[in-house]
Amino acid sequence: MNLKFCVNICILFTTLLVFGQESLYTSITIPAELKENANAVIRLDQVNVDLKSVNDMHIKGRKIITVLNKRGDQHVRTFAAYDSSTKIKNLEVLVFDALGDQIDKIKEGDFNDVSAVGGGTLYSDSRVKYFEYTPVNYPYTIEFNYEYVNESTAFIRSFMPVSDYLVSVEKSNYNINYSSEMTLRLKERNFQDFNIVKQEHEGGLQYEANHIKAFKSETYGPEFFEIAPQVLFALSEFNLEGVFTKVNSWKDFGNWMYHDLIADTHDLSESQKAEIVKLVQDEPNKLAKAKKIYEYVQNKTRYISVQVGIGGWKPFNASEVDALGYGDCKGLTNYTMALLDAAGIPSYYTVVYAGATKRNLENDFAAMQGNHAILNIPNEEGDIWLECTSQKLPFGFIGDFTDDRDVLVVTPEGGVIKHTKKYNTEENSQYIKGSYKVLDAGAIEAQAQIVSKGIQYDDKYNLETETNRELDKAYKHRWSYINKLAIENMHIENNKTDVAFTEDIRFKAGGYAKKVGERILLTLNVFNRYTAIPDRYRSRKWPVKISRGFKDVDEVEIMLPSGYQVESKPKDLTIENKFGSYKMSLESIHENKIIYKRELVVNDGVYPKEDYSDFRNFCKEVSKLDNSKIALIKTNL
Amino acid sequence: MRIILTIVLTFFISVSLFSQDYRFGKVSKEELEETVNPIDSSAVAAYLYKNRKTHFQYFQADGFKVITEVHERIKIYSQEGFNYATKQIGLYQSGGVKEEISSLKAYTYYLENGKVEEVKLDKDNIFETELSSYWVQQKFTMPNIKIGCVIEFRYRIDSPFISNIDEFVFQADIPIKKLEAEFEAPEYFVYKSNFKGYFPVRPITEKRRGNIIYYQKSRGEGRNPGGTTFQSEKVDFEKNVTIFDLSNIPALKEEPFVNNINNYRSAVKYELSYVKYPNRPINYYSTSWEDVVKNIYESSSFGGELGKSGYYEQDIDALIGSVSDPLKRAYLIFDFVKSRMKWNEYYGYYTDKGVKKAYKEQIGNVAEINLMLTSMLRHAGLRAYPVLVSTRSHGVPLFPTREGYNYLVSCVRFPEGDMLLDATNKYAVPNVLPIKALNWQGRMISEHGGSTLINLYPKEKSKNNIFMMAQLHEDGNLEGGYRSMKTNHRALSFREGYIGTNLDDYLEKLENKYNGMEISDYQVKNDLDLAKPVTESYKFVKESQADIIGDKIYFSPMFFLRNTENPFKLEKRDYPVDFVYPSVTNYKIFIAIPEGYAVESVPEPGAFVMPDNLGVFKYNISSKGNKLQLAVESHISESVITPAYYQALKAYFSQLVEKQGEQIVLSKI
Repeated sequence: MNLKFCVNICILFTTLLVFGQESLYTSITIPAELKENANAVIRLDQVNVDLKSVNDMHIKGRKIITVLNKRGDQHVRTFAAYDSSTKIKNLEVLVFDALGDQIDKIKEGDFNDVSAVGGGTLYSDSRVKYFEYTPVNYPYTIEFNYEYVNESTAFIRSFMPVSDYLVSVEKSNYNINYSSEMTLRLKERNFQDFNIVKQEHEGGLQYEANHIKAFKSETYGPEFFEIAPQVLFALSEFNLEGVFTKVNSWKDFGNWMYHDLIADTHDLSESQKAEIVKLVQDEPNKLAKAKKIYEYVQNKTRYISVQVGIGGWKPFNASEVDALGYGDCKGLTNYTMALLDAAGIPSYYTVVYAGATKRNLENDFAAMQGNHAILNIPNEEGDIWLECTSQKLPFGFIGDFTDDRDVLVVTPEGGVIKHTKKYNTEENSQYIKGSYKVLDAGAIEAQAQIVSKGIQYDDKYNLETETNRELDKAYKHRWSYINKLAIENMHIENNKTDVAFTEDIRFKAGGYAKKVGERILLTLNVFNRYTAIPDRYRSRKWPVKISRGFKDVDEVEIMLPSGYQVESKPKDLTIENKFGSYKMSLESIHENKIIYKRELVVNDGVYPKEDYSDFRNFCKEVSKLDNSKIALIKTNL
Repeated sequence: MRIILTIVLTFFISVSLFSQDYRFGKVSKEELEETVNPIDSSAVAAYLYKNRKTHFQYFQADGFKVITEVHERIKIYSQEGFNYATKQIGLYQSGGVKEEISSLKAYTYYLENGKVEEVKLDKDNIFETELSSYWVQQKFTMPNIKIGCVIEFRYRIDSPFISNIDEFVFQADIPIKKLEAEFEAPEYFVYKSNFKGYFPVRPITEKRRGNIIYYQKSRGEGRNPGGTTFQSEKVDFEKNVTIFDLSNIPALKEEPFVNNINNYRSAVKYELSYVKYPNRPINYYSTSWEDVVKNIYESSSFGGELGKSGYYEQDIDALIGSVSDPLKRAYLIFDFVKSRMKWNEYYGYYTDKGVKKAYKEQIGNVAEINLMLTSMLRHAGLRAYPVLVSTRSHGVPLFPTREGYNYLVSCVRFPEGDMLLDATNKYAVPNVLPIKALNWQGRMISEHGGSTLINLYPKEKSKNNIFMMAQLHEDGNLEGGYRSMKTNHRALSFREGYIGTNLDDYLEKLENKYNGMEISDYQVKNDLDLAKPVTESYKFVKESQADIIGDKIYFSPMFFLRNTENPFKLEKRDYPVDFVYPSVTNYKIFIAIPEGYAVESVPEPGAFVMPDNLGVFKYNISSKGNKLQLAVESHISESVITPAYYQALKAYFSQLVEKQGEQIVLSKI
């Protein structure tokens, strides 16, 4: 009975599928709502993952995509990456015109075969076979059939029906089968709001998504990975290029990483260790010693990407980094760890998703994740995090590259999920103390001291090593609203101990204040105008997300030209709302001298999408107030 | 005698040692101690020494090969210069033969406790990657790189490709202290040298003697059967040598509005002109422009393809059968090719699959499309010619060379003047070539393979006429209608950006370009009628367009249309400023002021020009009752402006920004 039922169902599905497929090649049948905001439509994305054993994974797929315009070309993605553990069995591309008639067919032999190494990498064995179709007309449809076998099972292709912004999905289907001795773990993300059906059966499961409208990216919106539905998969027992292991938790995962990938790479010679001991012998405490070692690494090494050794997951040996003076993030982190160890300071290798966008490691799903390594030093007053690939960052400062996110700290006792340092609004400060003198002709002579901390330090510390020509350009860019800016003097001081960046700038600007008949119009705010009003959306779809807050405080003394008096001036005011605050005030010291004060605070936070226009209005208001002017009028002497 | 020679040699070597020792491995302590480059204090690294020798060697089995020996010594001054410690060497392979690298040796030198230490690059840290079926890359990075260190490497490349000698590049992105280069070719191979760049280079030429010894094996005959004898034959020949000895070469630095910075990089390219072996006919490659063109023209992938017939005649005859006006015929054929053919984005002046196949498949490279266009125009009785072009990214072809060009357009000669056509771009119109093809001069090829130069830059100014009617409100908001009419290249750029995009998306971008202006009733006319100017119009509401201070209102009458930034920020300029095409923007702005206010003052009318009328700016304003009328004209008369005018240009733009920012004052009545 059961069997028969099943067969009937199968037949039914097959018929449906056959009927469906013919209509998938023509763009005429695309439902209107899937064309909204879409440059391409995934008509059908069928992926079959067959885990035959812990070192034998077969992937077979078929993807039919209709491209609506030239911006959709990039979503076709008819390529297959491979390396020493991945074998491509079959690749084929079929091209159809708008009516669904086949106009071209490309076999694997006609694919280009190139190295997948970017310019920034010294070496990697990754290669890619790709075919790039030149469209004659839009819309057109591509069918991409592929099949490959992978010996490694550490990375299992996830189910991700929506591949990118501005791409809609008609149907996406994912099948995974595994043999009975295997344990498959999974994690579903961002399923809410989407029509996704899951079916489980003995030794396998299936997901299907239907009719997902195209996503559009929005300023101050969530990142793609925060909204796109996805199912992550991992085997409890897997193979990473010949290294077999069993992992059910982050603890297990960390254990494996520590003992199989890291422990045997700490191979510094006794003399190297002795050198480190000697280096730090006069330092008073643990932190001072660690700082000394961090700076030693910064001076000795540099970052070079080399992707070799167990799928790029095993760090270089510490001795090797010591000899070469370079390494990738894994190698340099591991090297620093080995040196700290030599000085008796425990530290832990840490896996993280790096980038200005904060991304957590999935804390309840232990699997190969992350794209970067940093170092953790446990400390009573809060953990210290070290970015070992930078030759410039101060000790313990990680900036916006790895701040405020869940990471995996690998200890000999196993893995632990920890959260990295968050830079709070008050910490991300910029203080400007400046003055300028308005000359009779409207020119100004200005000087300012700008002190930046926290993430605002991170935004600027690179200026320290710029040439004068580039610095001049940078300031003209920062103050691009000043027409005839001529920098007269620049002095930069990078205080790494306090993580404070100080700029002392002196400049002149002809015609800054506008002469209008008997009057002079003067825009008060010379040094720090807020100009980045976020985009307006006809209908906002996603919530508002301000990733990092900041605080700017300006105090500027203004010398007015003699022979003029203030005719009118803006009122002092304070705006306060949930997004932050803005304060502006003017104080007359005497006839020709006024003090302009400004404070802008923007808080980090997440707000519902309905708040977007309020937030944008706040930005607009700030921008407008930063253009506040006073009018001066000639006195009749 | 030998002793004397040794002494003399030793003497010479010591003399050269006294100043600087450039032999491999002889890195001095002084070089390591240097902290700042003496000629450019901003340099992150510098070539202390750069040597390249390219010469020929005869191999019994393979014949002549090109041998290139490279020796470089690089000083690293700061972390930003660490990139120069990584070296990539590309090796070409084609048709079963390939370039081979050998004798690669590399060292890092650094000071430790005042002593010069060295560390060698380990072979295991040299990585080979097959980039594609034509290119293999060798890549390595030096060990132990620290601020102040010096790296040195040398290698040799044996290449079977005698017709393709890598360019000798004399200028880098960092300064070069001392550069020596030598090119030595046997008399059998005659190369044309093509120099370019701003930094002057003076080569020395000389001749040397060379010889080849052939060994021939012959089986004995007659009186000495069975034995094998070896015969050797010595052939003497002359070698032509060019030597470069340069010092203190400044770094080449990027500047905005530069067409292609490589046009200004000092270099020499040797191109094979002809091969003449003794007692054999001369085989020409190229020498003069005549030869270059002849060579290209006679190639089956060019002249042969241009002359092909029997694939389009029926279609074209049907298209133009009833039309006799030559100009109309040209338009019809041009539009026909544009709509039928899709460009596959491949460059070059040779066809790939051939015009016939391309025509059938409706897709082809630039040569296929524009050669078939030329052929069709000729079929219609017009004087049409292919024009060789070097695209902007490919640089300017200064000297006769086959590699100087990489693109092809078509030119029709009418009594009224020339008409340049490029059918690869759907929105191109006659005499409006795509921007990538606007690069100095092209070379027009006549029926018999002769050629003349033809200016590619447009003579006609691209126009943008802007009309705006606006009501200024008491709160500083501006409301009104905007219309612009664009011609030529401005119309082309507009069409490329507009046609085929999602309108909602396009409008959102447009609104946000003006910081969230609200746009309604958006209309575009003539977007597909290429013969007419493209017109864009909309209604808008824009906030905060005036300052309200006390009972007065201040604003710039150009509002959000004004230029607020001078694009020329650098104090000094070395290279020409490239505006791509001449242009004129006309603004006509009508402003109604808020009720209850009167015009207190308006800016003075004014006009200013750049020398030789390269830029012309006119500003006129009048007021009547509560209405203001502004007329502004802004011209750039040339596509390219030489650096001699840079200060004038910078001042001109500064004045323009200032004038456009001048304020109108309204006061409450």
